[in-house]
Amino acid sequence: MTGNVRTVFGLLATAALVAACSSSGASTAPSAGSTLKIGVVTDVGKVDDKNFNQYSYEGAQKAAADLGATVQYVVPKDASDYAKDIQGFVDQKFNIIVTVGFALGTDTIKAAKANPDVWFLAVDVAPCVDEAGAPDGTFACKGDASKLLPKLIGITFQEDQAGYLAGIVSAAVSKTGKIGQIGAINNNPAVVRYLQGFQLGAKSYNPNVTVETAFFSTGDPNKAYADPVWGKTFSTQFIDQKGVDVLFQVAGGTGNGALDAACEKNILAIGVDVDQYNSYTTADKCIVTSAEKHLSSAVNQTIKAISGSTAKGGVSTFNAKNDGVGYSPFHNTSIPIPAGVQAKLDAAVAGMKDGSLKTCPDKCGTWTQP
Amino acid sequence: MSGFGRVRRAALLSTVKRAAIGAARPIAEPLAAIVLALLVGAVLIVLFSGLVARHSAFDLGLPVAAYAALLEGAVSPNGMTATLVYATPLILAGLGVAIGFKAGLFNIGGRGQFLMGAVGALAVATVVGQTQSSYITIPLALLVGALCGAAAGFVPGALKATSGAHEVVTTIMLNYVLVFVTYWAISGPLALPGSPQPISVDVATRNAALPIILGRDGHLGILVALVAVPLVWFLLYRTTLGFEIRAAGANSDAARYGGMRTNRLIVLTMSLAGLLAGLGGATTILGVVHQVAPGYDTTVGFDAITVALLARSNPIGVMFSGLLLGAMRAGAQTMQIQAGVPPELVDALQAIILVLLVVNVLRRWLDGRSRQHGSTPSAAADTAMLADATA
Repeated sequence: MTGNVRTVFGLLATAALVAACSSSGASTAPSAGSTLKIGVVTDVGKVDDKNFNQYSYEGAQKAAADLGATVQYVVPKDASDYAKDIQGFVDQKFNIIVTVGFALGTDTIKAAKANPDVWFLAVDVAPCVDEAGAPDGTFACKGDASKLLPKLIGITFQEDQAGYLAGIVSAAVSKTGKIGQIGAINNNPAVVRYLQGFQLGAKSYNPNVTVETAFFSTGDPNKAYADPVWGKTFSTQFIDQKGVDVLFQVAGGTGNGALDAACEKNILAIGVDVDQYNSYTTADKCIVTSAEKHLSSAVNQTIKAISGSTAKGGVSTFNAKNDGVGYSPFHNTSIPIPAGVQAKLDAAVAGMKDGSLKTCPDKCGTWTQP
Repeated sequence: MSGFGRVRRAALLSTVKRAAIGAARPIAEPLAAIVLALLVGAVLIVLFSGLVARHSAFDLGLPVAAYAALLEGAVSPNGMTATLVYATPLILAGLGVAIGFKAGLFNIGGRGQFLMGAVGALAVATVVGQTQSSYITIPLALLVGALCGAAAGFVPGALKATSGAHEVVTTIMLNYVLVFVTYWAISGPLALPGSPQPISVDVATRNAALPIILGRDGHLGILVALVAVPLVWFLLYRTTLGFEIRAAGANSDAARYGGMRTNRLIVLTMSLAGLLAGLGGATTILGVVHQVAPGYDTTVGFDAITVALLARSNPIGVMFSGLLLGAMRAGAQTMQIQAGVPPELVDALQAIILVLLVVNVLRRWLDGRSRQHGSTPSAAADTAMLADATA
C-alpha cells in the first residue's frame, strides 16, 4: 500500500529533520524556568516539504532554540484534522500556535476567537473577520481583527519587493530583452504586487526591457491556481506569441505548469514564494532564482516579538527591512549571471531597507493595464 | 507409499487444526494482528528514539509513553468524542467495503465515493443553504451526498455487469478521476466568491453544519453511522436481497443457476457501497471539515478496507474495527504532541495490521488452492476467494 511507502519516507524525512534540529541545539525538552510552548500545525502533506510547512516549522524551531522553549508540530492527515489539531495544542496549554497556509485560516480565526489567551500565528493569512470577530465568508472584512482578536497575528509579506529583485535578475539574464510574467488572476492583490514589483525591478536594470504580462484567468480560480495542465498550455502559447526568454509566474499549481512550459521551450524561469529550485525539482534546470517569502525568518521573528511582549495583533507585514522577503541563491551554475547583477541586487535591497526605493506603483495591488 | 500417507496425515492434521481454531478465529486473528502490530510499532518507536530523535540512548520507555498518549488521546472525555468522530466515516465506508466483500466484490473506490459524497453535500450547502433553514438543508445535503456516492459506486458496478470490467481496476481508476472532479468542483463552481484563494463556502454559514450532540465536537453523523450498522446487518442477514448478495459472493455461478440476477446484484451492491461511503463523506464535510480547499482528499477509502478486513466483513465487527481505527487516528495527535512520535507511526501500525491480515487471507487462500488440485483461478475466482476468506 502507498501508506507503507509514505510511512517509510515519512520516518526517514523526520529522521533527517529531527537530526538537523538536534544538531543545531534545539530540543523538545522544556528548559528550566521557561514555560513557553510553541505548537505548529502544518498544512497537509509533510513537515519537510521544502515549502511552506518546512520553512514555517524551521522558523518556530529557531525561535524555540533561542528562547529555550518547547516546540512541537502536528501534520494533519487531511482537512478534517485542522480544527482538532489546533484544539489539541490549546488543550495541552501551548502558548503560541502557528498555523501554516491559507487553508487553515478559517479554523485559526475560530480558535483565536474561542481562546483569547493563546497567541495564534496564521502564516500567509490576512485575517478577515466580521464585526463579531468571526471569520467573514463574504470577505467584506468589516471587523477590525487587531482589536477583536488581539492575539491573532496574520503573517503577510510585501510581495512587490521580492518581485522587484526577481525582475532585476530576469532583465539581466535575458538575451532578447523581452521577458514575461504570468499571474494567477488579476484581482488578488498579493499576485498583483509580485507582478508590479517585477516590472519595476526589470525596468530598473534595463529601461529598454519589454515586460509582457498575462493572467491565467480572470474569473476561474481553478484555472488560476490549481491547473498545471492549463498553466503549461497557456504558457507555451504565451512564450510562442510574445517571444520572451525569461518567464516569471505567480500562480500556485498552475504556475508549476508554466515552469514546465519554460523548460520545454528552453527558456529561463523564475520561481515564486519559496525556493522552487528545491521545491519543484522537475523544473530545476531552468529556474534561475525565486522571488521568496522568508517564512522561517518571519515566524521566528514573530514568536520572539511575542516572547518579548512587543507583538501586536492584526496583520504583521514582512519585507526586506526585516529580512522577510528576498531572492533565492543562484543554484544553477549552468545559467550564467552577468557581472554586476549582485551589486544591483545589493543596492536594491539596501534601498528597500532604508525606504528610498519604490518597488510598487501608487495603486499597489490593483492591476491596471499599462 | 509413505508419500501418500504423509499427504493424508497432513490433510487430516490440518482439518483437525482448522476445526480447533475455527471457533476462536473470527476474534483471535484480528486481535493477534493488532497486538503484533503494536509490538512491531514499539520496536519502531525505540529505533526512532535512538536513530532519529537522537535521545541519549535507545529509549525503551518511549513506546510506553507513546502508547499512553495514544490511549489518552483516544479515550479521555474529549478523546472519546474524537474517536467517535473519526470512526464515523470509517464505519460507514467500512460497511460499504464489507457489503462488497459479501457479494464477492472488492470495492477500492471508497476514496472517490467519499469525495463525491463530500461534493454533493457541499453543493447543497452552497446552493440551498443560503435560503433554507437547517431542517431542510441538512437532510437534503446528507441525501444528495449519499446519492452522489451511490452514483460513484454505480459506475464500476454497471461496468462490471455489462462488460465484465474488473471492479478493482475500475474503482482504482475512477478514484483518480473523482479526486480531480472534487478539485475542480471546489475551485470552480463551489468556490467562495470574493476569496483571494479558492476555497469552498463554510457550511456553518449556510445552515448546513451538523448539530453537536456529544461533548465538544461530536456531531450528528456519529448517530448516522451507529444506526447504519444494524440496518446493514439486517439487510445482509434478514432480507432476500441480503441473502442474494451473500449467495452471489459465495458462488456466483450457483446463484445464477438458482435464478438470481447476478448482474443486477453487482450494480446494486456497488451502488449501496458507494452510498455508504458517500454518506461518510457528507457527514465529514457537514460535521467536521465545514470548509474545504482544493486538494481536499481522504484516506478513509483505503482505511475502510482495513476496517472491513479486520471485521471479517461482519457489520457489527465493522463498528468495532471502525472504532479501533478511529481511536488510533484520534490518539495519533496526542502521541505527536506529548511523546514527540511522528504521526506516520500510526500509519505504520495500520499498515502492519493490514499486512498481517492480508497474509492470513492469502495463507487461507493458498490452503484452499492446494486442496483443489491445479485449478487455475481467474481474477473473479480470486475475489470470490478473498470474499470467502473474509466472510
